[in-house]
Amino acid sequence: MMKDKALEELFLAQKPHFSDNADFIASLTKRMDAVEYLKQHQEATIRRYKMMMVVAFMVGIISGAVSIGYVLSTPADEPLFTFQVQTGFLLWLAENSRLIAATGLSLLMTLGVISIISNVQDIQHMRACLKA
Amino acid sequence: MTREVFIAHVEREQEALRGFLLALCCGKKDDADDLAQDALVKAYLSCAGYQDKGKFRSWLFKIAYNTFLNHKASLRCTESIDEARALVSSTHADSEFEHQDLYLALRTLPPKERSAITLFYLNGYNIKEIAAITDTSEDAVKKQLSRGRDKLKEKLKL
Repeated sequence: MMKDKALEELFLAQKPHFSDNADFIASLTKRMDAVEYLKQHQEATIRRYKMMMVVAFMVGIISGAVSIGYVLSTPADEPLFTFQVQTGFLLWLAENSRLIAATGLSLLMTLGVISIISNVQDIQHMRACLKA
Repeated sequence: MTREVFIAHVEREQEALRGFLLALCCGKKDDADDLAQDALVKAYLSCAGYQDKGKFRSWLFKIAYNTFLNHKASLRCTESIDEARALVSSTHADSEFEHQDLYLALRTLPPKERSAITLFYLNGYNIKEIAAITDTSEDAVKKQLSRGRDKLKEKLKL
């Protein structure tokens, strides 16, 4: 495609010249410093999240293993826990102690999994923000 | 690319980049400089993935072009008010702005035509390079250039 001479001359004649180049670079450097600070802060947050995830995972594994070990080590025909006071409700709790313990453990594990997934999503979101 | 190398490249290319954005912003220097800084910060954040093949300027222009389009999209609601205000003020302040006629004529072009015309006439890119910068086909660039040129010639009475 050929250039239109008149337009080309108009554009070239009106090519802008900037006298504040040093100020522009100084301002850019300041922005870059600010962005770098934010980037470092976000990276530190991601590292902290990862650490929390590892700690939560380890605590979950250890407490889960201890709890399951305890449940398995007690005789199957005896309740896991009993109460000094014998009321209807507490008696029911003691009778169903294994079922209640299993439900509690399942709930804890579910919460742990949800927390890990949420942390992973947060980390991915932060990484995407850093890249954008 | 290290920060020092990046700044050295930018020092070399900043005039061209600012001139390009100044034309896209139709002479609004503050807007153009803001966009240039935004684009350069984006470029800095993604410069780890940049492979130096001697096309730093085109790469910067591509980022600047996308930054400009995003900026335009975010201002779509207030744009007509701004344009009306600018047109009213231009009748009183013609002498205050250098290149006023060209910028007023550029303002009447849609952003994509304005970009193609500016890259072609001001920055001297060819159609293939413009297509790469604006992520469009060469045919589309040819159409934008043709339409933009006709509108500009009519407005500027060339």
